[in-house]
Amino acid sequence: MRPRRDGRRGCPVTATPSAPAAAAPDAHRYLSQEAGVREDRRFVAGRGRYVADVTPPGTLHVGLVTSPHPHARIVDIDVAEALALPGVVAVLTGAELAKSTEPLRQYLDVPEVQWRPLAVDATRYAGEWVAAVVAESRALAEDGAELVVVDYEPLPHVMDPEVAARADAPLVHPTHGTNVMAHREFAWGDVAGGRARAGATTTVRTRWNRNSTVPLETFGVVAAWDPHRELLDVWASIQMPQFPDQLAGALRIPTNQVRVHFDIDVGGSYGVKRGIKHGVLAGFLARRLGAPVKLIEDRSENMHGGDFHGPDRVFEVELAYTADGEFTHLRIDVIDDEGAYPGRSPLQLAKPIGAIVGPYRIPSVEYNATAVTTNKTGQVAVRGFGQSPTNYAIEAAVDAAARDLGMDRLELRRRNFIQPEEFPYRIPSGTEYDSGDYPAVVDKAVRAADLPALIERRDAVRAEGGLAGIGFAACLEPSGGNAIFENVMNPRNDKTTFPEGCRIRVDGEGAVTAVVSISSAGQSHDTMVATLVGEELGVDPAGITVLRADSLAGFPSQSPVGSRMAIVLGQAIRGAADELKARLCAIGAHQLGLAPDEVRYDRGSVVAHADPDAAVGWRDLVAIAHRKQHLLPPGASPGLEVVHVAHTPRSGTLAEPDGTVQLYPCYSFEVHVVLAEIDPGTAKVELRDYVIGHDCGTVLNPEVVRGMVYGGTAHGIGVALYEQFAFNPDGQPLTQSFIDYLLPSAHEVPDIVDVEHCTPSPYTTFGQKGAGEAGYMGAPAAVAGAVNDALTARGAAPVHSLPITPSDIWSALRATREEGPQ
Amino acid sequence: MKPIDFHLHRPTTLAEAIALLAEHGDDAKVLAGGQSLLPLLNFRLARPEHVVDLGRLTTLRTTRRTTDGLTLGAMVTYARAEASRAVAEDAPLLAAALPFVAHKPVRARGTVGGSIAHGDPAAELPAVIRALDAVMVAAGPRGVRRIPAAEFFVGNLVTALEVDEILTGIDVARPARGTGAAFTEVGRRQGDFALVGAGAQVTVADGVVVDVRIALTGIAGVPHRATEAETLLTGVPPADLDLDAAADATRAVIAPSGDLHATADYRRDVAGVLLGRVVATAVERATGHAHRAA
Ligand SMILES: Cc1cc2nc3c(=O)[nH]c(=O)nc-3n(C[C@H](O)[C@H](O)[C@H](O)COP(=O)(O)OP(=O)(O)OC[C@H]3O[C@@H](n4cnc5c(N)ncnc54)[C@H](O)[C@@H]3O)c2cc1C
Repeated sequence: MRPRRDGRRGCPVTATPSAPAAAAPDAHRYLSQEAGVREDRRFVAGRGRYVADVTPPGTLHVGLVTSPHPHARIVDIDVAEALALPGVVAVLTGAELAKSTEPLRQYLDVPEVQWRPLAVDATRYAGEWVAAVVAESRALAEDGAELVVVDYEPLPHVMDPEVAARADAPLVHPTHGTNVMAHREFAWGDVAGGRARAGATTTVRTRWNRNSTVPLETFGVVAAWDPHRELLDVWASIQMPQFPDQLAGALRIPTNQVRVHFDIDVGGSYGVKRGIKHGVLAGFLARRLGAPVKLIEDRSENMHGGDFHGPDRVFEVELAYTADGEFTHLRIDVIDDEGAYPGRSPLQLAKPIGAIVGPYRIPSVEYNATAVTTNKTGQVAVRGFGQSPTNYAIEAAVDAAARDLGMDRLELRRRNFIQPEEFPYRIPSGTEYDSGDYPAVVDKAVRAADLPALIERRDAVRAEGGLAGIGFAACLEPSGGNAIFENVMNPRNDKTTFPEGCRIRVDGEGAVTAVVSISSAGQSHDTMVATLVGEELGVDPAGITVLRADSLAGFPSQSPVGSRMAIVLGQAIRGAADELKARLCAIGAHQLGLAPDEVRYDRGSVVAHADPDAAVGWRDLVAIAHRKQHLLPPGASPGLEVVHVAHTPRSGTLAEPDGTVQLYPCYSFEVHVVLAEIDPGTAKVELRDYVIGHDCGTVLNPEVVRGMVYGGTAHGIGVALYEQFAFNPDGQPLTQSFIDYLLPSAHEVPDIVDVEHCTPSPYTTFGQKGAGEAGYMGAPAAVAGAVNDALTARGAAPVHSLPITPSDIWSALRATREEGPQ
Repeated sequence: MKPIDFHLHRPTTLAEAIALLAEHGDDAKVLAGGQSLLPLLNFRLARPEHVVDLGRLTTLRTTRRTTDGLTLGAMVTYARAEASRAVAEDAPLLAAALPFVAHKPVRARGTVGGSIAHGDPAAELPAVIRALDAVMVAAGPRGVRRIPAAEFFVGNLVTALEVDEILTGIDVARPARGTGAAFTEVGRRQGDFALVGAGAQVTVADGVVVDVRIALTGIAGVPHRATEAETLLTGVPPADLDLDAAADATRAVIAPSGDLHATADYRRDVAGVLLGRVVATAVERATGHAHRAA
């Protein structure tokens, strides 16, 4: 067979001279084509099937009693009145639930921090679930919830992460003894040397306030227990690795009694659809009550009780450089506010270690990361797993250094980029970047943006007394997520692989079906899998059915987190296709009277190397495999059914004690160029032009990549200017609906121009890299940079706290009026 | 987010609707476009046992031109008002403000009367009504009342309507020739309730400003009628208007509060900025050319 592994990498759509492995445009038949997105059909027709659409007969509904206090002891819960309400079936308290379930999983070694679906002795944030009311309808359950009387004794609370880290702060988990859940100090490279070579340093403090991905669909779960089959069926809008196992563990039932159905559309996630506490609660109630139980969060519950907020960080970044602007050292201190229950979120401090220098050559790095608890809603994984806030902090420091140096911001970046010939490039923290051509991507973006004209427009606005600025951001999207950051933050987590599986089956009529066992939240995996299987087998993807096996019928899978499916599932598909082709070749060779290495597989046929006319076609191969044992090679098993489970590329090693480790395998790159105009009277920002240069290696489906780039950029614009989960000093959430949590709409998001570049990854099947976090990685820094360019041109101080509101800009401008010459 | 159990009534005549309100009093709530009431019900912030839907009272959906102006039916939707020639001609300030209310889907259902009866100080229409000195017509068990705008808005979400009264229409006086109007606002996003909004209607006759009406949203519990600015601008030739002084006069008397979305100082300052802008545009529209003094 042909040595495909080396021969078929490349970038047919955007092949440029600078793309090293650019293959001939016809190397791919189905990849990179404008072939449409098959999921669109059902979504556009309103025929998605979401968890809310699943209502088995006899379903009961859950309503929640939530804490009004940020921190309080639960003295007593009186459920009598609620239970007496007609239609209410049961009321469950935290104490009762805790008796027969295990606490939810913590990834840090913090045994005193007990996280449970319903608070037990104390509530630790306003909105935390205290009791569940089960009734015949959701409305009745809400009526019942109002009748549950909880006697609270308020306790001191802490809302500010820096205050929480102090020794005298009120403790969120008193038995743990501190609010600091994790503190790690890393130093990589020659720190003393890097500092010594520097002529100057620039230090910025940035604040990434709490935001998240806020999906249109809130979290939902339906659980049904069949006592005769001893099987818990679960439909949930999840995007979570190990959900079935953790559910079983918490419910104290064997893992093979939990069947999670992945053929459910998930209405948005980008990391946040974890819902483990929802699943445990619904699963417990379904078993206890012997009826299907449905829990669909309402918007307020989702926004404040769902434990799905994103990173909430204070950074101090110190960048050291020579007089010529060559970076010599970087120090990042960060405190992350995990909210009341850390769960998996502190690990988001570790993932950025894999791209801690961004796209720059920086020989030494200090990274000091602290995770603290406060009396805020719990935090969870959000798009990029901590990378976007880190990118923002680094880029803010680069902009500030350019100002201090009096150097052009783009020039400073160019001067420090890792150069194309330096890949694979090992950064001080031990990770190797796979490939890239940053200068080429920047050139493309600058050309597409017509930067000189953009500068002219900016300056024309300024000349008329207006405010305008241009922002740049250059950053990486680590992709192909593995979970090795678990080991970095907690040496006891020694997981080193994060596999993904795929089954390819060719039925007796020769039709191809691919089976994966994940649910998707808008990432178009049906399209991706069909395209990749089609490309591998040389059959038209349009004819390939893609199905989702449930968690018991399926195979190891970590779900689509960490921008990894194109990479890891791509690997699994390659493995399955290779096995399938080997079997077909064996059949064909036997039929032709040749040895298996005398034939090759070619688009559905098995062909003799020596004589292209000697071939066995698809129909015959399929018929032999399924029905003609007499024609099968001796010992061959019937059917054409292959499962392959693949490791993440480059995984398999534990972190060194100093934290050096190969994190993700692939590194996509993007650069943003944005022109913003600010109304001098109202301080309102309008984004005029938005151009992105983006390189995610080989594009599998251009429409999907553009969708990620546009959507991610909108997400990042939200972070920069609009979105925040805010709390007042009393610990009360101020953003409980879309009235106050401001998602950017089509009015706020400008037309985005995306220019793609392709530097294939040497570690993936077709050179693809991740694209699921595209746009979001750089937009916050770019938009903030544009605002600050406008502000600093007026002599105002830059704003380094996101989101930047008109009020913030107005305050910055007013300070110059008050301080400056009258 | 499910409302409490309630009875939905769908009367077909005004008399029937009033009778229902008379019967249920405090336990009843009128439903118009539902764009504010339904969220309140779903959040259980409003907990009426009876909801009286005005949707079938077709007589409240008409806009009539009268000898001295316009009578807008309370149930006229924003969208209908926006498309109305009568509104454009006889209530140019209202026409200028309507596109700023929420988004198209909300404007397709939300009603002029609903906005006014709701009395949200951040809403556009109450400010417009206040600037125009419109008259609210209310019908109840004790008959029909005509309530001037100056008395109608009492506080944050509180109006002069009694619980058993229905707002049936709004009378707006036709402006004199030589009138221009403008509205503008600043919000975090387009379509949001504004942080601050300003509307002005200016009449210029014989080379001087003879009538100025300015109202602001978002800076107090009720729309702020900027009489302090109006006084400074009245009787002045358009070219001599001192808009900065007018803006400062208003900044000096208002006391907005701050919240998550903007500080009090921001609102105070920007109120003045917007006031200057709408007066300048209104004058331009009244006279056909720009007059903003340097
Ligand atoms: C997403 C969104 C954005 C919005 N943005 C804005 C905005 O930018 N600006 C803005 O002004 N508004 C905004 N709104 C509110 C909207 O304008 C409402 O439509 C309006 O406030 C109420 O009108 P309604 O007809 O929907 O009234 P309803 O919601 O039906 O009723 C509102 C209140 O008025 C009472 N009421 C209604 N009609 C009468 C009547 N004839 N007599 C007596 N009482 C009556 C009701 O009992 C209720 O208390 C927004 C709403 C949404 C959902």
